[in-house]
Parts: sequence; structure tokens; C-alpha cells
Amino acid sequence: MSSKCEKCILFAGEGGQGVQKIAQALNLAASKSYQSTYLNSFGVEQRGSPSLAFIKISDKVINYPRFDHADICLIMNSRSIPVIEKYVSANTEIVFDSSTISITELTKISHKKYGVPATKLAFDKFDKRSYNILLYGVITKMTGLDEKESWNAIFDLLGNKFKTKEIVDINHEAFIFGREASLEERDFSEPQFETKKGITIIKNSERKAIIMPARCKGCLICVLKCPVKALKVGTDLGVFGTPVPDIDIEKCIACGNCKRFCPDGAIGVEKI
Amino acid sequence: MANSSKIISGNEAAVLAAIDAGAEIMYGYPITPATEILEGWVEASQNDKSLKYLQTEDETSAGFAVIGSIVAGVKAFTASAGPGHILLQDPISMAENLRLPFVTIIMQRGGPSTGTVNFSQQEVNLASFGGNGDGLRVVYSASSVEEMYELVIQAFNTAWKYRFPTFVLGDGYLGKMRTAVKLSKPIKNITSKAILKEEKTPTYLRNCYSSEESFGKVLAKNIYDWKINKDKIVESESYLVTDATEIIIAHGIVAAAAKEAVHIMRSENKKVGLFRPITVNPLDTRKLRQILPKVKIAHIFESSLSQFSRIIKYEAYGLNTPIIEHPKPAEGITSEEIINQMERM
Amino acid sequence: MSKDLSKLMPKCWNQDSKPHLFCPGCGHGITLKQLGYAIDELKIEDKLTLGIDIGCSLLVWNFFKFDTIQTHHGRTTPTMVGYKIAKPNRIALAYMGDGGGYAIGLQSLLHAAFRNNPITVILVNNENYAMTGGQMAPTTENKVITSTSPNGKQIEFGPGFKGPELVKNIANKNAFITRTSVSQPEVLKSMIKKALINQIEDEAFSFIEVLSICPTNWKTNAAESFKRLSEMEKYYPLGEIK
Repeated sequence: MSSKCEKCILFAGEGGQGVQKIAQALNLAASKSYQSTYLNSFGVEQRGSPSLAFIKISDKVINYPRFDHADICLIMNSRSIPVIEKYVSANTEIVFDSSTISITELTKISHKKYGVPATKLAFDKFDKRSYNILLYGVITKMTGLDEKESWNAIFDLLGNKFKTKEIVDINHEAFIFGREASLEERDFSEPQFETKKGITIIKNSERKAIIMPARCKGCLICVLKCPVKALKVGTDLGVFGTPVPDIDIEKCIACGNCKRFCPDGAIGVEKI
Repeated sequence: MANSSKIISGNEAAVLAAIDAGAEIMYGYPITPATEILEGWVEASQNDKSLKYLQTEDETSAGFAVIGSIVAGVKAFTASAGPGHILLQDPISMAENLRLPFVTIIMQRGGPSTGTVNFSQQEVNLASFGGNGDGLRVVYSASSVEEMYELVIQAFNTAWKYRFPTFVLGDGYLGKMRTAVKLSKPIKNITSKAILKEEKTPTYLRNCYSSEESFGKVLAKNIYDWKINKDKIVESESYLVTDATEIIIAHGIVAAAAKEAVHIMRSENKKVGLFRPITVNPLDTRKLRQILPKVKIAHIFESSLSQFSRIIKYEAYGLNTPIIEHPKPAEGITSEEIINQMERM
Repeated sequence: MSKDLSKLMPKCWNQDSKPHLFCPGCGHGITLKQLGYAIDELKIEDKLTLGIDIGCSLLVWNFFKFDTIQTHHGRTTPTMVGYKIAKPNRIALAYMGDGGGYAIGLQSLLHAAFRNNPITVILVNNENYAMTGGQMAPTTENKVITSTSPNGKQIEFGPGFKGPELVKNIANKNAFITRTSVSQPEVLKSMIKKALINQIEDEAFSFIEVLSICPTNWKTNAAESFKRLSEMEKYYPLGEIK
């Protein structure tokens, strides 16, 4: 660790992104050589609301798990930025997922902003859900924690979720990639994994499909319930960064099942 | 009823007051010594079809039914005691969060637990600071049958004006004692208004928040309203304190005994006075802090261990006047006892 | 709000609170959509007041365009009973989950049915306490493992709780009591309409249990969720309880 005896680290993401797991792993890894505390902070919702984690690492005994100022802040989604602003100052080192967050969203806060396109990297090279592990690698390197101890902590906490050796290995690769990533302050102002804006209309002379990606949460119930398999997983992204279904309007019979079953009002088809 | 004298009990006075305050619905569950309030209301409703009631499955449901009627804009209330009062803290906490005009009449009985059905002053804590909030509740304490009538009417008006859960504390003696009283009707009651307004812009009432900060703002507003209205809400009686060298501090029917004791001691040329908070929460701190420095000693008498004295001592913090506690949990205190205790010192 | 977008959801849904905060694939979303359409079709949006419970149902606090009150856990039924007594001409709707209806709130649910209070109760049954992380509910079936039934919810905790059947036993004969499922959204909508009409025209108690899915706590994808739901339907029979 650096010369400062106490480090305050804030993780910020959304329910479902695995924020708490990597925060707990960081705490576990740090506790091997230092004093360490972890505290989560989130509201009532299981999904879709900010999920924060406070980690304190110190040479001395730590009494209180929260802090007003973060030395390092990991930001995994745009929606948590307003929530973490009060913990961040010019001196905070921010690591953010540049594939989903534009650097312009962070201009007001902090000078040291390091983007890592974690979601895209996970999607392209590793397991698409391992972006949190990749970012964990980055943070453990920044805080000077030992590589082996850091990985062991992940394995302790998540090992039972890695069902096969292949999954273990690919997550380990994501972790190592994060450890070795060079942190640059660069302009990443075009995130590639953004919710598609607006309304998507797909129509022919008989039917018109209406899809709103900003409401789609990627549950894929519409795909399941389509009796003619006109729907399949698409490439546009929805509100949680999950793929929005694509419709083959020729196959579609406008039965209304997609609208009937969509829990979010994100899709419907009408006869023209 | 107006301006005429009749023999009634404290519980009967409560019923008359609720009707005269414009209450339309009572929800309740029988529990001694408050049962006669529910029964009296039901009897009144047989002759007056504008009055409704429901005997619910328990006090908790009674309290939530009160809330349902209140947000519809109707003056509703409940009455209870002891273990029933404990159950009422669930709905009253919701009323405290949402600033609902929830009126509760409590006829205190011995506690904790089922205790006795008779009498105590041990529900001050529950009324003032019960539930899981910070005690933003107005609590009146009645010391006579007549005052029971006046304070129940006052409670409805205070509740609907300031929107804090409002209690009237009586007790088993007050509820059951019968005496002739003159009741004068109130001049004008505050009108009730629908809180779920049925307007084009919907009203959303929630009591659960996802962040500390957003809830902190709600609490800050409630506390602000509490503080700026405190002086308009507090009530107290200062009886023969001007030249007193010793005072008694008491509330409710114990204060009535204390008044008798003051009379007797004064007839023996002892300069004793009585400071009687009528609102136990918020307390008339200003008056208390005016009076205390002028006397040599203050005696607190209450039928609880320290529920009342804690409030007094908190509000008197920093003053040098010695305050002696005379607790007698769950048992009545006569004027003779008060005199004996004071003479012993 | 564009015309196209308004076609995707009921008119009485509050657009400003969408996308709502329910999890992806949540059965509440399906239920609330059919509830919305039922209200649109009966044209009662301006005559209805909604009470909601704690748990995932609390996320409905700003969901619709009509007055909504969120109560304490298990207390939505008595609150709406009190509301209806004060305002007999309004339609009182209580919306809750399996905990609010069959555990902490069971007493009040039964008494409202017993007294035939003219309110409508919709209970969403996803066999767990979802918001707190998936603990067992009375409706959790026998072999199911949750954090508070680590060996499966064996006979020692009781089998799956059949609420509508219980309610039917003590309810007034004019009450309308039924069980439906998110696997049949059109039936769900028509049951909701029947229940509301029962309140309006017959001034009687109505109760609908909705079998629902919880992909987050069941840890299932769309297909697995509906498969588990069809298993639930074998144990919890659908249809009006007569």
C-alpha cells in the first residue's frame, strides 16, 4: 500500500452488476495483510437502483466503516453518478466502465479519471458477465494488493458460481487483464454499450411492431411467448444493457402475446 | 349537553367530546379501562346515523382502519389501553411518518404487559416516544372528567391543524369516576380534508425511502414543523407558583391530587405551588424554566418509575433547582401521601 | 407521450415512473399490466384508490395515475377497509404479496372476508419473500429450498398454503374468490374485472390470488420461470373457488 495509512474505496453500480461481491472480495483480500472493513448501502429494490459499497483498508484498527471522501471510486454505471458525487473530490482516482459511461458525465467531478471498457472487453474476450471481475483486477492493482490473494478472495466468494473449469479460467483471465491494464486518462466519450434511445418501429403493410428499448429489461419473455418464433435476441441494448429482441415482421401474426406478457410495456404489435 | 350539568364518567366525556369534535367513525377493540368509550360510541351511533364504527379483529387493524378513513378525509379515532396501546404503535408510527391527524384516547393501566386493568401513568413513553420514530406526537394529559371532554375536542383540532398523531392520556380512575360536569361546546372545529385528494394529479403516500438522504429531508421537514409550532401547541397550568418556595410537578389525575395537597399545605401557610403540564409532549419548557429557578425545590409525583420525570429533567437541563422524584408505578397517589412525602424531606 | 408508445401500456399507468423498478421478467409487471387494462376497460380510473403493502408491492407506490397509499406489512387490507367505510362510493383496491396476505396480514384478510367488507384484494403469489432476498413464504411448496428453509420447506413448516380455499371457507356467499396465473393474462384481466364489478355492483368482498414468477430469487430464465409456474398450477388449482 501507499504511504497513506488508510485508503477509502467506494464501489458504485446497480443491483445485478455484482458490485457487492467484488467489494466483499476486496475486503477479504485486504484483510490478509491489513485491517479492513466493508459496508454495503442500497435501497429496497433488488434491481435497477444504486448499489454502493464502502471499503476501508488501513494499517491501524478501523472503527467506523463509512467515510465522507473516497480515495478511489469505481463507477460501473451512469445512474449511480449523482449518488456518488458527494464522496468524490478533485483528488479521488476514478475508475469507470468506459464502454457504458461517457467521460463527459464525469467532467464535473475529479481530475483523475481512468476509463476501462470492461463490458465490451468481457463481451469480446471473456465471459460477458465477468466485467465486474475485470474491474476488480484493476482496483486490486491500484490498491497494491497481492495478485494471488486477490484472486483467492474471488474464488472463495464466487467459486461455487463458476460451474466448470472453463468458466473459472475465463474469469481468471478477465481478472489478470484488469491487473495488467494500463490506466490512461483518455477521452472515451463514445460509450459503445448504451441503451438505444427512442422508439423502434418495424412494419410492413399489415402489421406494425413498436419497441421501446429504454423500457426493455431483457427478460426475453416475449421471445418465449411468441407462437411463431418471430422474436429473437437482438443487438440493441435495453435499460440495463441487456439485448432488446428483434422482430421478423413477416413471420409475426400480430397475436398480441408479446404485449400481453411484457412486464414493462416495452413491446407491442398492432394490425394496420 | 351544551351548558348543562350532568353526571358522567371520564369515558363518557370522551365519547361526547369526540362527537362534538366532528368525529364520524370509531374503530376499536374492547380493553379495560377504555371499553366504555367504544360501547358509548356504538350506543350513540344507534341514534345518530352519521356516526359509524367497526369493532376490528385487534387494535392494530383498528389503527390502520383509522388511517384509511383519515386519508379519505373523515375524522376517525380509536381508544385503547396497555397491551392494546402497544399494538397501536404500529399504525401510529405510520401516521407519524406521513403526518396524519391520528387521534388516540388512552386510558392508562398498570404495565408492563397485562399488568392491571386499573390505573397507572405508565403509557407516557408509548404515547410520546413509542414506535420507531423520534417522538413527534402531541400528548395531552387530562386531570379531570371535564378536562377529558375539553382535551379530546382539542386533540382533534390540534391533529387536523398541525398533522401530528395526537393523544389524550386519561387513566382507569378518570375513565370510571362519575361526577357532575358542565360541558360547553367548542366554538368552531377545524374541518377535515381528504388527504388522498381524488384529483387529476394523483396523491402518492409512501412511508418507505431508498436512500438515507431522501428520507433525511422528509424528517427534517417534520422536525422543522414540530419546532416552529411548539409554542402554539404547548399548554400548562401554573397553580399558586408566583410566591411558592416549593413546587410539585405532576400531570393527569395525580396532578389533581397534588392540587388538593397544595390547598391543604397552603392552609398551613406552606408556600407550595403546582406546575401541571397539560401537554406532556411537547412540554411547555419555557414556563418550566421560568418557574424552576424561583423555587428552592421541586417534587415530581407520578404513577410510573420515571416516564414523566425524564421529560421534565431533560427540559430542565442546566438549571440548579433540585428535583426530587417520587415514583409510584401503577399505583394511585393521594393528596395525603403527597403531603407526607414532601414533609419527610 | 407519443401515440405509439401509449399503445404499449394501459392508459392508467403513470408514464413518468416507467421503466418501473421491478426486476426483469417479474410477474408483478404482467399482473399490473392486466390490472391496468381492467381499470381502463371498466373506465374506473377516477373512482379508484389503491393500497399497497411492503415487499415488492411497495414499488407500486407511484405506478398508476390514481391515489395510492403504501401501508405497513400486512396492514393494507384493514387500511382499505377503513377507507371504504369512510368513502363507500369509491372503489377500494388492496394489492399485496404472499407475506402481506397469508402471514402477517392473514388475520385481517380473513376478517375482511368474514365481514364481507366490499373491497377487492389482489395477492401476488410467487412462493417467496422476494424483496428481502427470497426467504420462504407460507406459499412455498414442500421441497423448495430457501435461506430459511435450507433443507426444503418440509412438512415441519407446512406445505404450500392454499389461501383462496381458506378464505372461501369463512367468506360471505356473495364474495368472489378466485385463483389465476400470469400464464393466462387474458383470464387474469377478466377475473380482475369480475372482482371489481363484484365490489361495485354486489357490494361484496372479492379476492384474487395470482400465481406469479420471480426470476431473480428463483434464479430462473424466462422458460424456466414459466415451467416452474406450470408446476405450481398443478398444486394450486386455477379458477373461481366455489
